[in-house]
Amino acid sequence: MRKQFALLAVLFLLAAYLTVPAGTAAAAETKKLIYDEAGLLSAEEYAELNEMANKYGAKRETDMIIITSNNPEDIDVVVMTQDFYDEMALGYDKPHGNAVILTLDMKNRDVYLAGFYKAEQYLDDGRLDQIRYKITPDLSNGDYKRAFEKYIKTAHKYMGIKPGVNPENPLFSLGFQLIAAVIVGGLVVGVMTFRTGGRVTVNRRTYEDASTSGIVDRQDQYLRTTTTKRKIERNTSSSSGGGRGGGGGITGGGHSHSGSRGKF
Amino acid sequence: MPVIDYKCPNCGSGMVFDGRTGALTCQGCGRQDNIEGIPDPLEQVSAEDQRREYQCNSCGAAIMADAVTTATVCSFCGSAAVLGDRLTGELAPAKVLPFLISKEEAMVAFRKWCRNGLLTPDGFMTADRIKGITGVYVPFWLYELHNRVEVHGHATKVRTYTRGDYQYTETQHYAVYRKLRLNYVNLPIDASEKMNDELMDKLEPFPYERMKGFKSPYLAGYIADKYSYDEQALLPRAKEKIRSYIESSISSAVTGYTSVSFTDKQIDTTMKQADYCLIPVWMVKYDYNRSEYVFAMNGQTGKVVGKPPISKAKVAAWFAGVSGATFLSLKVISWMMGGGFL
Repeated sequence: MRKQFALLAVLFLLAAYLTVPAGTAAAAETKKLIYDEAGLLSAEEYAELNEMANKYGAKRETDMIIITSNNPEDIDVVVMTQDFYDEMALGYDKPHGNAVILTLDMKNRDVYLAGFYKAEQYLDDGRLDQIRYKITPDLSNGDYKRAFEKYIKTAHKYMGIKPGVNPENPLFSLGFQLIAAVIVGGLVVGVMTFRTGGRVTVNRRTYEDASTSGIVDRQDQYLRTTTTKRKIERNTSSSSGGGRGGGGGITGGGHSHSGSRGKF
Repeated sequence: MPVIDYKCPNCGSGMVFDGRTGALTCQGCGRQDNIEGIPDPLEQVSAEDQRREYQCNSCGAAIMADAVTTATVCSFCGSAAVLGDRLTGELAPAKVLPFLISKEEAMVAFRKWCRNGLLTPDGFMTADRIKGITGVYVPFWLYELHNRVEVHGHATKVRTYTRGDYQYTETQHYAVYRKLRLNYVNLPIDASEKMNDELMDKLEPFPYERMKGFKSPYLAGYIADKYSYDEQALLPRAKEKIRSYIESSISSAVTGYTSVSFTDKQIDTTMKQADYCLIPVWMVKYDYNRSEYVFAMNGQTGKVVGKPPISKAKVAAWFAGVSGATFLSLKVISWMMGGGFL
């Protein structure tokens, strides 16, 4: 009976763990985090996303900012991002503090992601590239709301993972962990159920008369040799090149940042 | 006189076979007779006596016996009764493996086994609903099968090495041939129609070194059946049983290669001998939740086989426990790798 209680307790904890959303500390005031100058979002969409960015950003102590612009003066998207950060003194913890910025240049259809301070550390160029690859299809389709949601959620997720680790490692995904746990549980119980009826404990040696059994004759005749060769791929080029634009830099105001640039 | 009973020469009480001492034992005065020392009353049975109705020699009641029974206990007075005409001629067993585990020991061993089940319901584990425990000598054929095996196949040895910018894979091809002689002795196949084949297979192995030449007093106090199938009828089953042994012998005969595929296998099996033997099994009937469960215990080694009921609650608890523990350890691993706990 005690054993079963222990199991129930484990189950209960698990259920509680899965249902209660992590970190219920909501941001005190709602900051303006989305600067939709190009007018890609409706009023409801804007309110929803802005609240979402506030909520997720607070958990990582980082402002998650979205800038859209029709870019009438034709400024480069990286310069636009850097100037905006300097001018608006963005940052969660202080002016010019932790922030991650997604900039859409609607004129040139450029997209740029930049991470400042804590976000520079956690969202390095590689991780920003991964976020950009995830949202680019939605941006190309004009599904901006979906792309922005993905951006906020992914940035939040990656910032919870130690820098220098691949954030898309399947071990980190809740779905993988749950499926693996269920498979292991099923296998163990299946084997236990299968073995309840008793097992066959005899093998081929049990009834073999060793004195008269054995190999009587053997032949191993060499026929031929075939050889195939394959060129070894050498990874001499610096880490994954294709489709990567820009990277990080330093703003006019002297703030260093990581970055990822692309088209959509 | 086809019904043989065993009366104590001292006091006239019924005598039964006791596995512990290996002697025919009187239940009244405790007299013990060495079975190998006394003449087998079976030899005095005349073959022309072919009556199909049996009467108990002690009380005169009709003995309830179905067509295959060779030994039973009179349901009225409890005397051991061996039906002699069913144990002679064609039907005479060559050997018998006597019971070693007594009824009391079998009960204790079965109760102990019930408690070990990780998935059996609590109500079952107390083992207080044993409906009946019966000592049965099950008819078996012990086959001696000689096999001549010839196989042809194709084998490869693969070697890889790097030279300059290229990786080379070198495959050497061989034609392999093996001729094996595989002789199996005392391969047991149960010959009783009543017994579940799968259950009987799991009871193995039997300690053949304790096998005795057949004498009818070994059956006194137990139930015994004659075989339902003869050695020819069961030969296909015996061949099927050794098939996997032969396969694994073949693969262990070809070693040192990266891959082996057999193109031709010839297995020629001849039956050298088949001995009719009686093997001791305790059959336990158990009532649980309005259904009856049957278990079998090896009467020599005490190994218990049979499907016990499965408790859904325990299965669920184990599943939840194992899954939960796996999930938590995966979480901890991912946390240690820097993935964050949430």
